[in-house]
Amino acid sequence: MQDIVNKSDDKKTPYEIARNCRHYAMCKIDFLGSGVCDSGPEKHFVSFYPQGRMILYEALAGNKISVTEKCIEIADSCNLCGKCDYQCYFLNEMRPTKVMEALKNHVQTYIKNGGKIKLSKDDFLLAEIKKIVGENWASNDEAITVTYSHDLSAISDPKVPDYVVMPNTKEEISSLVKLFNKNKITYTIRGNGQNLLGFAINEGAIIDLNRMKTIEFDEKNWLVKVRPGVTAFDLQKQAQKRGYRINASEPAALLCANIMCSGIMSTFSTTYGINADNFINAEFVDHSGSLFDLNEISSPNLYSYKNLEHKDSPGICVSASIRLHPVTDDEKGILVPFETLNNALDFIKDCSIRHIGLALGIVGAEYISTFLSPTKKMASEIKNIFVDKLNIPWLVVVIGDKYAIRSISEMGFPFFDQNLFKSLYLGLPSLKTAQWLDLVKELSDDEPYSYLKVKSFAELFETALSPSPRLYSQEVDKELSPFFEKLFSHQEMTDLVWLNMYRIMSTRLGRKKPFLPALIYLPIDKDLINDFTDKFRLIAEKHGIDNDFGFITPIDNGKRCIFEYDFFYDYNDPDEIQRIRQVAMESNMLIDDYSVKTGTVKGHPYVLYQGFCRKENLLYS
Amino acid sequence: MAGKTKPVIALTGATGFLGSHLMATMLAKGYSIIVFGRPAKNESLKERISRLLKWFGIGSFLDQVKCIDADFSQDNLGIENGEYSRLCSVVDSVIHCASDTSFSENKREKVMAANVNNLKGILEFSKNAHISFFHYISTAYVAGTGVSFCKEILSSAKSFTNVYEESKAAAENLISMFCQKNSITLSIIRPSIVYGDSQSGRSLKFNALYFPIRSAQSIRDIYLNDLSNNGGIKAAKNGIYIDNDGYLFLPLKIYLPYEGDLNIIPVDYFVNATIKIIENCSQGGIYHLTNNLPTTMKIVAKYYEQLMKVRGVEIIYGPQPDNLLRNPAEELFDRFIEPYRPYLSDNRVFDRTNTILATDNLNPPKFTYEIFKTCMEYAIKVNWGASIFA
Repeated sequence: MQDIVNKSDDKKTPYEIARNCRHYAMCKIDFLGSGVCDSGPEKHFVSFYPQGRMILYEALAGNKISVTEKCIEIADSCNLCGKCDYQCYFLNEMRPTKVMEALKNHVQTYIKNGGKIKLSKDDFLLAEIKKIVGENWASNDEAITVTYSHDLSAISDPKVPDYVVMPNTKEEISSLVKLFNKNKITYTIRGNGQNLLGFAINEGAIIDLNRMKTIEFDEKNWLVKVRPGVTAFDLQKQAQKRGYRINASEPAALLCANIMCSGIMSTFSTTYGINADNFINAEFVDHSGSLFDLNEISSPNLYSYKNLEHKDSPGICVSASIRLHPVTDDEKGILVPFETLNNALDFIKDCSIRHIGLALGIVGAEYISTFLSPTKKMASEIKNIFVDKLNIPWLVVVIGDKYAIRSISEMGFPFFDQNLFKSLYLGLPSLKTAQWLDLVKELSDDEPYSYLKVKSFAELFETALSPSPRLYSQEVDKELSPFFEKLFSHQEMTDLVWLNMYRIMSTRLGRKKPFLPALIYLPIDKDLINDFTDKFRLIAEKHGIDNDFGFITPIDNGKRCIFEYDFFYDYNDPDEIQRIRQVAMESNMLIDDYSVKTGTVKGHPYVLYQGFCRKENLLYS
Repeated sequence: MAGKTKPVIALTGATGFLGSHLMATMLAKGYSIIVFGRPAKNESLKERISRLLKWFGIGSFLDQVKCIDADFSQDNLGIENGEYSRLCSVVDSVIHCASDTSFSENKREKVMAANVNNLKGILEFSKNAHISFFHYISTAYVAGTGVSFCKEILSSAKSFTNVYEESKAAAENLISMFCQKNSITLSIIRPSIVYGDSQSGRSLKFNALYFPIRSAQSIRDIYLNDLSNNGGIKAAKNGIYIDNDGYLFLPLKIYLPYEGDLNIIPVDYFVNATIKIIENCSQGGIYHLTNNLPTTMKIVAKYYEQLMKVRGVEIIYGPQPDNLLRNPAEELFDRFIEPYRPYLSDNRVFDRTNTILATDNLNPPKFTYEIFKTCMEYAIKVNWGASIFA
């Protein structure tokens, strides 16, 4: 099984590639500006996006389903344009086009050989559903339903729903809920399936909210009202066009779903906050199908917080009024290196207390090398260079205006500014063979990273690395390198502010293997954080699971932070699935222990469906 | 000592630069050596010593070495009681070579711990073993700042160039008091800056003299790459080009505060002189292993230009003008050589009276271009140490 994980895509069979789809839904957003699969925005069902076709092909090739009417439509709707290769290779070093070709061949061969096409029939319930949402927006065809059997949580057992429904209004959702209640049908709400706990898959009916993409700006009130099908990426893009920023999590995550599940968090949470800090109001369809508005006095108090695992959902969030934040034209990103986690923790705490920087986050060498490197192989080489040659096991990402950056400089911390970062990023291939790195390390003997304070180091660094989009693109598959060269000539691809706003790189963390994060809210207490880090590592090692430090972002003026620790696993290996489940259980028990012991630690599972709560209720109650 | 059985020597720092060269020659001379040291991350002490002896071409001498895992910060050096007593009964002399050679003020605590605080263990061992001789490898630079004539006496300096010098001066005084109290004959051996073997160029360490050369070579290679592969735009901006003779013209003005010398000795001289002192001086004493024909940075710069096919290096004595515009190469080079700057133009003169007597007037060679070339070619061959054991 390990061989398949490490095999490059040109050596993998289409079935092996399909089985390794990460289900991140990133192919549903145009994060590279190269466009998305044409049929997706037209048909809306995930089945018409590359992710859906990967799952469909896996099901067909694995003889889990037969060829159906929709199956033919889905296969035919792919024009083999190759856009999915750009996107998926960028994130996961995968080439889905091979799977798309195999899907088309499979269907054509089946038809050519006289295979019987399975016709789906509308049962009573489907007919009723279609009366609500229209003929095209509900299906029980296996080719559609099977593509909803997976979500981001690869440790949950896949479940194929009976129906998939795509409503377009809150009234339609209300009617659907009433219909399902009346007929005792389980229903599950799905955004883009970004749930880490498997709550976006189920039997019964899946209500896919992806048609509801309306965005209404209310600039005089610094608000934007979004329907539940709007992704973080698309909203950020619209906000940026108008000169604003929103606090956004993963780019493919739908904002309403994101708030609903656990609240929005990002490195910008340092100043923009978490949970109820991010919105003003929201509308819901409750479990009886009735509508309510969060700001009505009679509405359930979703601002409160209860320390309960798996609290019931308050209903379906059908719109949210998200806060807009101002942007200044002098914002820049920097990377501040540290030799120890403790020093990095002192730094972010100090910055947070002093209100220095808009966004702050500690990342380890694994994280940063994975984000910056276009391939797995290179990520591993670069990680070693960061740790062994540059002596940079830790970096703090800071986004701030010129006053914040000046303050950090005055605090005496050497850093990679935007220009140095760009040289480093586009010059990564040269870094692998740079003999002079040994000297740079020795230069740090007296004062760590003091070379960064040498005025013209940036120029020499640039001369030494010869950074360019062409150099960087030489590392990727030959036929994709012209695209990557053009892509990396775009200014935003190397702009730390843009990269932190849109977070398109974070999915690369799952490139080697999918990952399961442990997320905790806790004080910036060095002993506590080191304890967690050590114990998470020991738990993972005990079960033979790859693991690494994720990130830490300070929140609420440095009183607390969000800490992510990641566990990596191969979800096609049943044994590894068992072991990761064990790791998840033991990690949660560890968090529970500390929660009781300290009274200041909160584990992520306890926030589920409480994303609307006030952060004060979550952090301090 | 001729004709007598060689004494059993306990040696610390045998895996370091000076200690390893000393160990190799002493083994070849028939000494039995007990090495007190520590294992590395993935290598036992014996494996480390074995690797070093192979590098010296005397792998078969491993039988003459006994390797003892020792922790100088622990009581009894962290050695089990029985073994400790047994060692005490066989050791005749101690050569204490182990040292933290960092100049960094940031590492003060670590340097002082290694070079001063941790002496206690090895001194107690020397007392318990009733040894006759304690030989301490120090540095010629313990006399401190502001001294122009350095005598072969203990230092009473209060001000030093860096924490390394300070720690070695403190250690000399501490050892001296201890040896006096316990009737142990002490010799303090003070080498200046040591480079590789003057005949073969071989060396295990590539700091000190090597560091400025390596820095300049790295900067040269960065611009050569720019000229060869990127059209030389950055090079041209800084007035860097390849001249008609095929030499790289790379302006590199190096400011040194005043005219002075660079006192360097080859490791073969260090080893031969040290062994002579150990074998000849039954009364002990302090010995400066320095060069009475010191070189200068101007000479080294010329050697560098010739070997690396570079022009444009200028050594300027005197204060650096205010608001001087420096090119990136100069700015980085300045930073690279900063810790070594006090040794690059040095006016100190070293008294060698004791040394001349003890070593039968053995002198280090004058630093010629041939020696420079041999040493630097070896350094480049082994990639400044990175592939030395490859």
